[in-house]
Amino acid sequence: MLQCIFLLSDSGEVMLEKQLTGHRVDRSICAWFWDQIITQGDSLKSVPVIASPTHYLFQVVREGITFLACTQVEMPPLMAVECLLLSLSRHCEAMLWVADVLSDYLDGLNEDLIKDNFVIVYELLDEMIDNGIPLTTEPNILREMIAPPNIVSKVLSVVTGNTSNMSNTLPGATSSCVPWRKTDLKHTSNDVYVDLVEEMDATINRFPVLNPLIFSFMLRDGTLVKCEIYGEVQVNSHLSGLPDLTLSFANPSVLNDVRVKKLKNTPIYVKPQLTSDAGTCRISVLVGIRNDPGKPIDSITVQFQLPPCVTSSDLSSNYGAVNVLADKTCSWTIGRIPKDKAPSMSGTLVLETGVERLHVFPTFQVGFRIMGVALSGLKIDKLDLLNLPSRPYKGFRALTRAGEFQVRS
Amino acid sequence: MLTHFGATAESLGKASTMAFRIGTDAHLYDDPDDVSIAPLLDSKFDSEKCEALKRLLALIAQGFDVSNYFPQVVKNVASQSLEVKKLVYLYLLHYAEKRPNEALLSINYFQKDLGDPNPLVRAWALRTMAGIRLHVIAPLVLVAVGKCARDPSVYVRKCAATALPKLHDLRLEEHTAAIEEIVGMLLKDNSPGVVGAAAAAFASICPNNFSLIGRNYKRLCETLPDVEEWGQIVLIGILLRYVIAKHGLVGESLMLSSDTLEKPNTEKEDSEPHLAIRKPLTAPTLTYIADIISRSYLEGPDKYLSQLGNVNRDSLGLDGSCVTSAKSNDDVKILLQCTSPLLWSFNSAVVLAAAGVHWIMAPKEDILKIVKPLLFLLRSSSSSKYVVLCNIQVFAKAMPSLFSPYFEDFFISSFDSYQIKTLKLEILSSIATYSSISSIFQEFQDYIRDPDRRLAADTVAAMGLCAQRLPDVAKTCLEGLLFLALSESSNRDAASLGEEEIVLVQVIKSIMAIIKQDPPSHEKALVLHLFDEIGKLYAMAGIVSKRFLVMEIVKHDEIGWMVIVHLVRRLDSMCAPAARAMVIWMMGEYCNIGSLISKMIPTVVKYLARRFTLEAVETKLQIINACVKVLLRANVEDMSELQITVGYVLELAKSDLKYDVRDRARVLKNFLSHCVGLYDLEKVKDQTEFKDLTYVLAEYIFGGQTKVPSEPFSYRFYLPGSLSQIVLHAAPGYEPLPEPCSLVDDEDGHSLSHMQGTITGGVRVTDSEPNNIDDSDAMSGSLDEENTSDYSSRGSDSGSSGDGGNYNNASDSDENEEADTLISLSDGAPASRNNTEASVVNSSSGLMGFGELMSKKSLESWLNENPGSTQNSSDVDHGQRSLARISIKDIGQLVKPKSYTLLDPANGNGLSVDYRFSSEVSSISPQLVCLQVSFRNSSTEPMSNILFSEEESNQGSDSSDKSVSSSERISHGEVAKLVSMEEIGSLDPGQTTNRMLQVRFEHHLLPLKLVLSFNGRKQAVKLRPDIGYFIKPLPMDIETFSKKESQLPGMFEYVRRCIFTDHISQLNVKEDHSMMKDNFLLICEKLALKMLSNANLFLVSVEMPVAANLNDLSGLCLRFSGEILSNSIPCLITLTLKGTCCEPLEVSVKMNCEETVFGLNLLNRIVIFLAEPFP
Repeated sequence: MLQCIFLLSDSGEVMLEKQLTGHRVDRSICAWFWDQIITQGDSLKSVPVIASPTHYLFQVVREGITFLACTQVEMPPLMAVECLLLSLSRHCEAMLWVADVLSDYLDGLNEDLIKDNFVIVYELLDEMIDNGIPLTTEPNILREMIAPPNIVSKVLSVVTGNTSNMSNTLPGATSSCVPWRKTDLKHTSNDVYVDLVEEMDATINRFPVLNPLIFSFMLRDGTLVKCEIYGEVQVNSHLSGLPDLTLSFANPSVLNDVRVKKLKNTPIYVKPQLTSDAGTCRISVLVGIRNDPGKPIDSITVQFQLPPCVTSSDLSSNYGAVNVLADKTCSWTIGRIPKDKAPSMSGTLVLETGVERLHVFPTFQVGFRIMGVALSGLKIDKLDLLNLPSRPYKGFRALTRAGEFQVRS
Repeated sequence: MLTHFGATAESLGKASTMAFRIGTDAHLYDDPDDVSIAPLLDSKFDSEKCEALKRLLALIAQGFDVSNYFPQVVKNVASQSLEVKKLVYLYLLHYAEKRPNEALLSINYFQKDLGDPNPLVRAWALRTMAGIRLHVIAPLVLVAVGKCARDPSVYVRKCAATALPKLHDLRLEEHTAAIEEIVGMLLKDNSPGVVGAAAAAFASICPNNFSLIGRNYKRLCETLPDVEEWGQIVLIGILLRYVIAKHGLVGESLMLSSDTLEKPNTEKEDSEPHLAIRKPLTAPTLTYIADIISRSYLEGPDKYLSQLGNVNRDSLGLDGSCVTSAKSNDDVKILLQCTSPLLWSFNSAVVLAAAGVHWIMAPKEDILKIVKPLLFLLRSSSSSKYVVLCNIQVFAKAMPSLFSPYFEDFFISSFDSYQIKTLKLEILSSIATYSSISSIFQEFQDYIRDPDRRLAADTVAAMGLCAQRLPDVAKTCLEGLLFLALSESSNRDAASLGEEEIVLVQVIKSIMAIIKQDPPSHEKALVLHLFDEIGKLYAMAGIVSKRFLVMEIVKHDEIGWMVIVHLVRRLDSMCAPAARAMVIWMMGEYCNIGSLISKMIPTVVKYLARRFTLEAVETKLQIINACVKVLLRANVEDMSELQITVGYVLELAKSDLKYDVRDRARVLKNFLSHCVGLYDLEKVKDQTEFKDLTYVLAEYIFGGQTKVPSEPFSYRFYLPGSLSQIVLHAAPGYEPLPEPCSLVDDEDGHSLSHMQGTITGGVRVTDSEPNNIDDSDAMSGSLDEENTSDYSSRGSDSGSSGDGGNYNNASDSDENEEADTLISLSDGAPASRNNTEASVVNSSSGLMGFGELMSKKSLESWLNENPGSTQNSSDVDHGQRSLARISIKDIGQLVKPKSYTLLDPANGNGLSVDYRFSSEVSSISPQLVCLQVSFRNSSTEPMSNILFSEEESNQGSDSSDKSVSSSERISHGEVAKLVSMEEIGSLDPGQTTNRMLQVRFEHHLLPLKLVLSFNGRKQAVKLRPDIGYFIKPLPMDIETFSKKESQLPGMFEYVRRCIFTDHISQLNVKEDHSMMKDNFLLICEKLALKMLSNANLFLVSVEMPVAANLNDLSGLCLRFSGEILSNSIPCLITLTLKGTCCEPLEVSVKMNCEETVFGLNLLNRIVIFLAEPFP
């Protein structure tokens, strides 16, 4: 069971502490934790379970906020890490998504949002976890119990001075066997939208490789090491009551074990080329469409980490913006590929003194989005609705975006 | 430029955020105390109260202590506004432990709220009431929980279930049965939500009370899919444990596969295990791992590893008797069926828990089911990915065939974190097969070029592992690695970066590992091929002159260890000392294999001799070793030349800066002087038996033992999905699977106990005379004896030397049956004798009267003397003596250990058994703890043949002995857990008898199960250990104490704080007719008494603060000492007080003990009982 949860800002400040059991955890543990982060670097940030001298710590980092939970006894770590903290952080995020109006200005979850709404966070935490064990985690119920902040209630609170966000009654869903749905849900609109969202994971080798292991030169230009598609069906329903929905696919045979689909090619190509000599490295990256999916590809980005031996870089592109961050991450935002020219980025990297040639090579991470196409070829056949008074409007949409799409140089 | 712009954008964003913070609680968080909070709390308006509470909450969030508002906040519990209530509850729960007395004020409101028509209010009241953790109100909470467990609202029932662990946490032995009953009731609840919460309560309260599960097993399985995901995780674990305890392991499962496939398992372990490793993917190796895993799951790896040497499978209980079948056993079948759909749960923790059940229980061929769900989990967030991979790693090690078709899923992505990458590499190296290895190696090449050099090094290590698993690819690996080594070392520019070195070192390490395991001969073709390729590589890299290569290739006509040759040739360009050292080791080790190496040896040795002074220590040591090895195996023709070179090296080494190098040089020089001399001798008469011992030794040390050291399995296996598996040590509270078939059905249990009854029914009639007076006399007598022997030697004043006898007389003559009154009377005797103002003994309560009995004169003199004691040593002595007399001498007899109920009359057919820990130390073994058990017959019929015996289930006897290593078992004989007690022949109605019991607890926190037989029937009982009695007093004086204390700093020292309140009630009672100064004494006495009544300790000293304010207790310091019974490690305890007389005192308890775990547990125990209010 979890004993305590701390919310740390990205500078290590403890924003909030919530003791969950009678066995108090001193917040000095956070200082220890932050010391470790500072001394061991960021690699510790990605370890979800840390054994400190006194406690076991579970950490999840979301949007710069570290959720740190402590326990002293055996408990399923996934329960703590994945489910609890993630659902918690997701929930806080959702809770703190102020109205849509504000969402353009605020990025879901950030330090200020936590601080501004700390009372809600406390109330939430108290409701979600009792004695270190999850009590109510169903967002639907929580939303009814503790109203999320929104612009209307805020204005109201300024005007009327009434700040209550606690509901006075127990949500009916707590006793229902369908806890994720309100018992008597009523929507003014009567429609349901189905989105087929696919993510493409691919690993592509680009560079001619000398293969000492099999003792032959192999040109592995553009070899697809791995290419998979992972899909999700997202339903946005504004249907009242408790209808039964049945979704059927036109070609379910595409699905490989309801899991992932292996593909032979990718919609776009990224050709990086690096040549280095005498302390400088010439880099050029070409991006273009390989297999036209029939719909425009947008939000194309290419991102890579400059090798540690690079001291400075001078990169430019003929299309889109190139940005090199302080941590040597280089990102090239292309957006949509223009009709008239093929986007390319080129430039030189200056290596550390004493390093003649580059012997490590960065991996390029590619992002893109294609609206209206499911690259796997999966098609939704129909959506049957039962137990519904009137015929609703049904909408279908498909979307493919890059998942872990990487090109090795 | 761009980053700069980014920064401005950010600040702009911040500014806009500020604008939108209006209407939120932002201002409260930023300036929580800009207005006075106290008046707001007393306001009439809910909104103002709310604001005040929010401000307090903000202060809590920021880490300030605002507990001083407690009284004002508590009042607001009565508010009708739910928001105010919630905020008050939040505050209350945060501080209740700190301010228990004020928290009590709120109880009435909770009671009222529990009757509220709104279920939300009822639930909150219950949650908070249970959450404030006060022993005083525990019975009230228990009643409330019982009521709420029958509440019509599901939510309230759920809260009742979660309240149970909180109650249990208070350690109320007397309520355990009631709590477990409620758990049982809630497990039967109709609502799945309640069942889930009840499962969580079950797991934390009584995880081994399987009878509760047994009754509902089928129903629980059926509701499992409907239970909330959190409940599912816990419930799956409980059901698994139950099935194993009831039916044992499944015969077809992986856990028992070793039995069916390879019976003589133990033999194989003894005989060369490296052989088994060399044959990869064969059944023996895998079953060996599976065997380790199943044993680890059942016993916990720590226990398993400790007895690795002498494993006896039969002791495990894995033999045929408790094996079941997944096909024929309904319970197993249901469990597997109901967990199967959960493998596709949305919640990854549920998937992992379900996968764990299948892993352990499913027949081997069905385990495949878990593969895809597990791989699917790799799509989830990186945090859970890490945990899942940790578990897959174990699965893959035990059953590579499960995951080997899916090797592509473990290819590394640049999106992964470093930890995930290394895990994936490890998994890849353990699931590689001959068909997949080429693709895996292709991937590895890409990883080696990764900018993160740690990853490159890990990849190289993984290659080494692959080669060891699949010997056929060893040569490919070797070639690849050699190429890497050569190119890495040629990257001289890069080698200046420290990062490059780790790769090179790892490369050499992997090469070494592969060479070690290779047979000392290769086929010719292979070597030729190797030469060819190396030649090509060299030519390509343009490193080596072609001429030399051609020469070498032509010359080679037998096995040549080209790899080593090439590495040695590249020595010059390798910078990392570790890498150099390893290459030199290889050269020395294999110096006589093949003609090529031996030919180049003299040159290489010369080269090393020349470079010797420039090398790092690590390398120097290896050079010396290699020199000796070379010399021992050298050909005759090279001998003289080598001797000179080696002699030169040794001379250099003898004057080295580092003593390690010098020492080794001297030793080896001695060796050599013998060996080399003998060398000629041996050459003459080859077969002579005459060999110098030194030579044999040298041969033994440096001889060609290229044998692979048998690799101990360093893996530690814990149950899948557990925290322990991630951190790789048993986390507190980790429990391995229960013993197979340890659970017997009720009806079976009866017949079994009956059988045992007849076996152990040896009649040993004891007289029924002794009653509690006798026994308490014996006990207190011994106590007294101990005390006098301790303190008279320390020169306490004459009055106390007669105490012992006096006391005994008093108690003998006394006819009062109440033990405590008896003690108080006897106590009064010495005190009144000393006392000039002898007061009348207050017989109603010995404890209350005690303070008045004290000599005021001596007290005053002590108080006056104390300030001087810091300057004058004789004064110190004096002061301490008087202190000692006051607090120890008299308290020793006031000590009254707490009594626990072992069996209450309701369960025991009228027999009630209580036990208390005795301060006596067992004379039989230090492992034993003495208990005083008192039996009382409260029924109307006489009882007979009352006897304790060890718990024995049908197969359990072996396994219960498991923890005792074999030697111990012999010394203890059959009574390892319990020194047999004299049987009580008969016990008349109303009669009470005491017995001394000596038991050995297996663990200082876990209860010991015993069987109490009486009237021919058996009753299982649980003895709960009290860590306070796992120690015995260790007499010492203050100097020794502080000396010892200074030897145990740092990690051996732990401090905890608690609040001590016992004295308050008494101070209030006697405030009117006693002087203020007595308060100090009273508190000291109270504290010491509390300590000594709950733990078997020696009071070393009491030190008073030199304070102007007589009411200020801060600085009062009590020291106790004890030593752990089992290993005689001393434990030093220091109590330091803070606060004033009439208020709760803050006690800081410091423990100095080498045995960290024990010390911490003891400290926790002390803190708990100190904070416990006086009954």
